[in-house]
Amino acid sequence: MNSIRFSTKTIFLLVTALMLAACSWPKALSRTQASPDALAYPPLELKIVEPERIALKNGMALFYLEDRELPLVNLSILVRTGSLFDPEGKEGMADLTAYLLRTGGTEKIASDKLDKLLANLATAPAFSMSLDSASVSFSFLKDDREICFDLLSQMLFAPAFENNKCSLAISLKLEELRRVADNPQRLAFREFNRLLYPDDPRGRYATEASLKKISRDDLVDFHKTFFTPGNMMIALTGDLSREEAVRLVEKYFPRSQQNIKPVAPAPPPVKSGRGVYLVQKTLSQSTVVSGEFVASKSDPDFYAFTVLDFIVGSGGFPSRIFSAVRNNEGLAYSAGSFYRARPDYGVFGTYAFTKTETTLKAIDLIDAILLDVINGSVTQDELAWAKTSILNSFIFSFESPHQIAGRQMLLAYEGMPSDYMKTYRENIHAVTLGDVERVARKYLKNGNRLVLILGDTDRLDPLPDSWGKPIRLSPEE
Amino acid sequence: MLKSSRLAAFFAGCLVFLAASWALAFDLEERVIKTRLKNGLTVLMVERDFSPTVSLYIRFRVGAVDEAKGETGAAHFLEHMMFKGTKTIGTKDFAAEEKVLARIEQLGQALDDERKKGNASDEKRIGELSSRLKALQDEHRRFYLPNEIDRLYTQNGGQDMNASTGQDVTTYYVSLPANKLELWARIESDRLRNPVFREFYTERDVIMEERRQRVETSPDGALYEAFMAAAYKVHPYGLPILGLPEDLTFMSPVAIRAIHKKYLAAENIVIAVVGDIDPDKTLSMIDRYFGALPSSPPRPTSISPEPPQDGQRRVNISFDANPSMIIGFHKPNAPSSDDYVFDVLETILARGRTSRLYSKLVLDRQIAQSVSAYNGLPASRYPNLFAIFASPRHPHTGPELEAAILTELDDLKQRPVTDEELARSKRQLKMDYIKSLNSNSKLASTLSYYELLMGDYRYFSNYVAEIDKVSAEDIQRAAATYLNETNRTVAHLVRSQENRQKKAEHE
Repeated sequence: MNSIRFSTKTIFLLVTALMLAACSWPKALSRTQASPDALAYPPLELKIVEPERIALKNGMALFYLEDRELPLVNLSILVRTGSLFDPEGKEGMADLTAYLLRTGGTEKIASDKLDKLLANLATAPAFSMSLDSASVSFSFLKDDREICFDLLSQMLFAPAFENNKCSLAISLKLEELRRVADNPQRLAFREFNRLLYPDDPRGRYATEASLKKISRDDLVDFHKTFFTPGNMMIALTGDLSREEAVRLVEKYFPRSQQNIKPVAPAPPPVKSGRGVYLVQKTLSQSTVVSGEFVASKSDPDFYAFTVLDFIVGSGGFPSRIFSAVRNNEGLAYSAGSFYRARPDYGVFGTYAFTKTETTLKAIDLIDAILLDVINGSVTQDELAWAKTSILNSFIFSFESPHQIAGRQMLLAYEGMPSDYMKTYRENIHAVTLGDVERVARKYLKNGNRLVLILGDTDRLDPLPDSWGKPIRLSPEE
Repeated sequence: MLKSSRLAAFFAGCLVFLAASWALAFDLEERVIKTRLKNGLTVLMVERDFSPTVSLYIRFRVGAVDEAKGETGAAHFLEHMMFKGTKTIGTKDFAAEEKVLARIEQLGQALDDERKKGNASDEKRIGELSSRLKALQDEHRRFYLPNEIDRLYTQNGGQDMNASTGQDVTTYYVSLPANKLELWARIESDRLRNPVFREFYTERDVIMEERRQRVETSPDGALYEAFMAAAYKVHPYGLPILGLPEDLTFMSPVAIRAIHKKYLAAENIVIAVVGDIDPDKTLSMIDRYFGALPSSPPRPTSISPEPPQDGQRRVNISFDANPSMIIGFHKPNAPSSDDYVFDVLETILARGRTSRLYSKLVLDRQIAQSVSAYNGLPASRYPNLFAIFASPRHPHTGPELEAAILTELDDLKQRPVTDEELARSKRQLKMDYIKSLNSNSKLASTLSYYELLMGDYRYFSNYVAEIDKVSAEDIQRAAATYLNETNRTVAHLVRSQENRQKKAEHE
């Protein structure tokens, strides 16, 4: 810890107590009983640490930050791909490709031997595929860096896709599908996403039929298209110098071939699904999810919407959904909202898990909250609470070197401006009550929403007419 | 409870040893400042100054095992009530509020008494009491500022604020900007000494929803609960942390206060502070806020030990889900030397793709979808279990997979594990250790846990020597001693007949 060195820009911010007014307390109370809002805090030194962005000879961008506390090297890679590139009818291909890179062996090393090598190193890279990227994360002892880079390089650029490992992976994936419905929340969110993106690759999920159509050759092709250095970014932090970091990546990651064009980001979805859907499953508790498209991360409305979402349901106990559905009524243990903004579109949603008898009541409460914020009910106090909370927790974006380098890589991957983190605070700070009301009106239009109820829906009271006719779904179809 | 088992899973992952060559990289004992306040409360501090933040853990040696009979779920319920404020946090006028709260409790008790009569209860009286309770609850809102503890932490930049209740230990934790340490001391010391249990009856409904979410609609939760109930017949480890439904339904504030009293013994409390701190100032602040806590000796609950198991126990639960199972064996808890042996065995059996169970059952024979092993279920203050969790891959069945797992366990008795397996396992545990030092909150969590449970966080570094002593013969002997039929509990989740038919028709 004593020898951490990095390019640090130190900004002194007087992040003192929110309500500084009172630095003394009523005489009747001892200091330990004074109002917590009256506590005075020393100033906080906010260190905005940034990784170094290095353009490598092979065309990759490297985000590097030194961290000498432990004898470890941490590595993350983002690959421009994603399950939204699954060909229609062969959904699951992207996911299987990532899984096979880890489990299918390499041209030089058979899979069982590779597993043993990694087990003896007490580590293994984790490969995962998401909607719009693939990622690899790998952490190892610095003394093992040559062999770890060598193995990773083979897995990424010379995978073998062993036949028996391909068929095993498909079988395991089929079993996973068979088990999705065992977990009500998992099933509900999968069906919700399917419905949210009609006629869009984002709404297509692997099925038994699609998995059975995927061959080894498909995986080989998918890998060839997407897993090239030109499609990758890497974040490397830990107990190694800048020169060593550059040397390792340039040694083990090949140059991109001239004739292979980098993959372009997929276009955003055109329209969101809407309406009310019911999934019958005999359970004592319903899962209710609702959502719609809202401001993207590059939209100027992003900041106002972030504040709005915090107030509506992601700001913990005092947020509106949590306090109405959970605290006041005792209808749910889990309830709230979520806002996932991508560079070109955003999704806002609400959720509650509540017993069958109170399902409609919980939905009514959430609807009323959304209607209220559209009608301008957010108060100055709520706005101040939300903004101060977001601003005060900002330093947790700089908790560890790898978190910092990884996030800067993600922002670059998303095509966000490089000063995004630097301007984030100002942008949140500038949000006014008028902005919050405006974005609520603009995006949370009535009738735009998709609502999914999973549970013992046969036992629900009739839904209000204003919701339109609900559609019953059978997830196996 | 899932929360606690996740917590326990984390600690299992941290059971570690410190190899000599790595000790230099991060000399824990040199970095930890351990102090005992005059009243017996233990404080552990580690300075880490990469970011101006601090992680704070406060742990009580009080858990679900400390509940009285008929009051299961009280420790977890108390944890929820600790977020409802204090006499000075969350109130507009406590003197007036207190009177309303007393009337709410009276009325709530009368209502529960009437409901307890079951079929003989007077519906009219229930209706009348309910509406009077509702009116009083509305009146109470006039005096109450809800969610103040969360509001204070969040507004001051707090992260990951939460609490968890286990069988052994209850924990409250948060990370804060480093300059906000006093806010934590103010809130935690106050809610420890002056908590006010507001919104009691609404929170009871919330916890019932928590139970629906974690147990009633979750195949894993339901199977786990049935398994634990079968494995422990006498000792409270067999009872659910969330509480038995019949106890939870009529939980009273009296039961919650009884558990809270057990918090008020400074010797039973460990605080860990890890981050960008000035140790001297931090310690004097903690002393100012917590030093006045009475040093009353801990009042240990009298808990009957679990008698030795005298025969295999089997339980099937039916659920609308695919099959899965838990197989468990009683064994001694830490710091018994056999506990270390099971830590090594856990990694040899089920950690990673080369482990025995994964490589044989998932990769080679392809009869399993997943398999994992776990040493130290459900907790560690009392003798516990070594358990295996597994799910068959269709069309293979639970019983078929069970037989294959038992064959592998028998093999451990027949011949010693290989040197390679043993070395690999020790290296994996070492890596876990190094990685657990990488975050303020993980370090605060780990240090406070061992300090509280083992009486000394250095259980950590002593672990090195102990784990290095584990030999192939030890594993063979432990397998022969504990992994046998009379000491075994097996729980299967099977799809109910009715649901199976429905599913067949659908397909």
